[in-house]
Parts: sequence; structure tokens; C-alpha cells
Amino acid sequence: MAFKRFDPQDFVVSADTVTSTVWSNNAVALNTAFTSSTQREGVSGPYYLNVFQTASTSNQAAVQYQIAYANASGGGGVRFDNSVVGKSSTTTIYGQYRTLVLEDENSKFTFGPTFTGSAANDFYVISIERARYKEKLFPGSFNLVLSSSNSNLALLHLTDDSNAVNIPTYFGTQRAYQVVSGSDGSPYKGNGYSFSGSYGIFLPDISTILLNARALDDASTSGGTGTDDGAGIGLGTVTTENNNGQNPSKLYKLISGSSAASIFQLNSQETITSDYVFVRARNSEFNYSENPSFISGSTGEVIYDYFINNPQTYATTVGMYNDSNELLAVAKLSRPLVKDFTKEALIRVKLDF
Amino acid sequence: MGYLNNSVITVDAILTKKGRELLARNDGSFRITQFALSDDEIDYTLYNPTHPSGSAFYGEAIENMPLLEAFPDEQQIMKFKLATLPRGTAKLPVLDLGYASINLKQGAQLAITPQTLNYLGNNQTFETSGYSATIGDIRLFSNFTGVGINTAAAEQNNTTTTIGTNVSRTVIGTQINLTSTTVNTLFGTQTQLRTTLTVVGLDSGARLTIPVTITKNQLT
Repeated sequence: MAFKRFDPQDFVVSADTVTSTVWSNNAVALNTAFTSSTQREGVSGPYYLNVFQTASTSNQAAVQYQIAYANASGGGGVRFDNSVVGKSSTTTIYGQYRTLVLEDENSKFTFGPTFTGSAANDFYVISIERARYKEKLFPGSFNLVLSSSNSNLALLHLTDDSNAVNIPTYFGTQRAYQVVSGSDGSPYKGNGYSFSGSYGIFLPDISTILLNARALDDASTSGGTGTDDGAGIGLGTVTTENNNGQNPSKLYKLISGSSAASIFQLNSQETITSDYVFVRARNSEFNYSENPSFISGSTGEVIYDYFINNPQTYATTVGMYNDSNELLAVAKLSRPLVKDFTKEALIRVKLDF
Repeated sequence: MGYLNNSVITVDAILTKKGRELLARNDGSFRITQFALSDDEIDYTLYNPTHPSGSAFYGEAIENMPLLEAFPDEQQIMKFKLATLPRGTAKLPVLDLGYASINLKQGAQLAITPQTLNYLGNNQTFETSGYSATIGDIRLFSNFTGVGINTAAAEQNNTTTTIGTNVSRTVIGTQINLTSTTVNTLFGTQTQLRTTLTVVGLDSGARLTIPVTITKNQLT
């Protein structure tokens, strides 16, 4: 009498994608970058560098991303044990990402169709802090501007090539886009690759960006200005074995020292699954009310004689119940919905999880 | 010929406390199978069937009123349900507990058997799904149980124990058994403790709240 059962077709499941910026305070671009000397000199320092949006000593400081350097031969890092050649923190980082991305200990990272660089197959890693995003990165939103103090090299605008390819490359089950010279997911010229393959690999599903160290190291001035012409940025990666090259700091300096208006733009993407429930009130249903002001006295008589044959109710709330009559979810209307024997109501209720 | 208004009202729903609890339990009990409409916040005395401008204006004081957002506490929302009854119904189902108020001494027992008047065309009857009874402050009773309904929800409600907090408690049954507390410290310097008992017919949606008073036993 007060409850009406749903029909199976009253339920529809919908998945909608929402995007938002990844940086703290919903900043569209991260234009300032700070590191912590405590972290850099600590036990995690040889592996990665935390980057904050404000001074690390501020109570507002929050890690935005980490920079790491990976080298298959251990170059750029100090040996764990001086008697064991070629095993350093950079080897560990390399193995970590090789397992995570390539899922094959015998494979090498390929930047572009074929480029693998030297035997070291080295690259930089920008790993977005987990607290900055809900689910994954949004392809086409990645814009990073590196700036060199060398005026001939000037700026290097990096983006993913998601707008230039119909389908991404897949590593296992995860999507991969090439990092190219350009902006907003489109190469600036041609395929946007460097003289040494692509500039890296954009991995939205693990919120990671790998940057090709060989492409960034290029200090040639071919193309004139060095801006968006396939050249690098003269990063100067140290690949010497058993040598603390502090390579993450080198990349950090090119980011934090950038003179661009928007240095690092990146959005995240989340799929929200919603249940739509259609609430249908037929003309003959829900026309009387148990509201005490609808009833006159304790005998249950309706308040107005007019309501006996022409009852009118005003629905304000939809309650959804299980078989045990337990109220599981409620939805309020924005204004009362008039219901009488001449009206039917169809209300679509959205349930987000 | 004009266009028909085919707009669909879309509203966002929130989970109630009970909904969150059942969702977290992950045992299949969170399964929406039915719905009800309510007219919480509506005061039908504002409806004016003698409006001089005619029937189109009878509900003008109600129709554009702003409504509050939903409360997650299932006890505070869906209080007054809309009912489906035959046209021409002059009397709506109302609950009869047999008491207009409850006055108990410490340690006293009482069994309440709710009935629904004007239900399904009968003068009085019991609802198949039973009645839910909510006591405002469970501390006032050493025993507060419902019997006569054996659904999973009823059994779970009836076996849940709440100790030492001033929270409400809901049980389900065709008979509600109460035993007032014997604890003196609750009274402090007072001789009486007061709360309310709200009973809802689970089929009709009819609702009734009555005051409950527990009187401290005086030493002679």
C-alpha cells in the first residue's frame, strides 16, 4: 500500500568519466616546484626525489610527484656493495619498472618504434603521487615544459601523442602513449619524436611518465632555436657506473627553472559508475498520505471532504528499500511534486557509488 | 496543439546509515527492490480548497516551497508515506497502540500489540509485515524487543544490543515488549525520565508517536 516494487527494467547502470587536475588545490598547472633536502639526503634519496608544490617545510606542503632515474647498468648510482659491479639504486629502479611495465626481464624499453639507446637503456621516471589522483591519468592533458639555461636550446614542450594515434600501444593490459614534442596531446611537427626516438612513454593507467634520457640529453642546436624541432634540452645525464650522478635533481632543475607560463599540466580521469533507478507512480497510486496534517483527528478521516474523491498529495522524497523494508537510499525533490488521480510521475534517481 | 511535457525529474540519491551498513556488510542485503514516496515537510493545512481563484490555486502555498536536502538518518526521513488507496477513501489507516501515552515504574513490564484501523477496508487488523517500533533512548529500558515477525531484518534488529549510550533503537514485530530500567543513576535528581516511542506499520506506512515516562521507585 505504501510500497511499490520495482520492475527489472527500472534499473539502468551507467558509467561516466569525470576528469580533474591532479595538483593540490585543484591548480590547473604546477608552476612552482620544491624539494626536501631531508628526503634527498635520506634513505630514499638515492632512489627518487620528492617534489612539492610549496616549500617542504610549509604545513601546506604535499608531495606532487617523484622523479627517479633508471639505468640497466647501474650508471648514475653508487654501488650497493663496492665489490658488486653494476648494481645500484638506478638498477633497482630500472628493474622495478621493467617488471611493472614490460613484464619481461629480458625486454628493453623502446622509445618510439625501435630506439632503445645504449645497453643501459636509461630513462627518467615521473611518478604522480597517489593522493593526487583517483584512478588514472587523462591522456591528452599532459603538458610539461623543460627549460634550459642554454639560450640555444631554450624550451622543450612535451606532451603525449594521444590525439595523433587512434589506439594506444599496450604493455600487457596497460595503455602506453609516446611522449612527443608538442602540446595537448598533439605533436608540434610530424610525429614529434626527438633525434633519439620519442621523448618517453606516457603510462596513464599507472600514473607514470617515463622520459627518454638520450632524447633529453641531446644538446645539438639543429633546427635553429632548439624549440620543438626534435632536439633535446641538454640535460647532461650522468651514466658513469658507481657515481652518484644526482640525475633526478638535474631533471628537477629543468622543470623548476622553467620560464614558461604553465610548466606542468596534468589531469586525472575517473570512471564513476551510477545506478539509475526509474521511479514510476501510476495515476491511481500514491494519492493519499499518512501525513498527520492530511488526517483530521485520530480516526483517520481525511482533512478536507474535497480530498475524498479528489485527493492531492505532494511528494517530496523518494525512499528506496530492500525486501526487509529497510530504507537504503533516499532522494529529495527540489520542490513538491503534485500527485492526484489524473497525474502520473516518472522520477529518475541517480545512485553513485 | 502544444507539445507535451515529457521531462523527467532527475534527483541524486544518498545512502542512509542503514544503506551504508548493509553495503559494507556485502552479504547481498543491499538490494533495492521497492520504493515508497513520502511528503515530509508538507503541511496540508496550507492547502486551501476554498481559494477564491479556483482549484488551480488550492495548493499554491505548497507547490513552490523550498525543500531541505536529504538526511542520512533513516529515522528522520520518509516519516509520512504516500499511500495507494481506492478513490473515494474517506478514512486513512491509523495505528492504535491501546495507549495514548506510556507510564511505567522502574522495572515494570509492558507488552504492546499495535493494530491498524481502516486498513484494507477493515475496522482493525494486523499488518502482515508487522510494525517497527523505535524508542528514543534505549537506556530507559532493560528489555526492548519485538516478537512475531521472523524475517532476517526483524531478527537482526531484535538481537542487536546497544549498551550505555543515549541512542535510539528499532525493533520489528507484531508485539513489542518493554521492561523499564532499574538503574537509579540515570535519574540523577529527577524522579521521572521521558522519551518517545514511534511505531510504524510496515505495510501501510501509518505512523504514531507517543510519550513514554519512567517513574523512579521511591524508598519508603
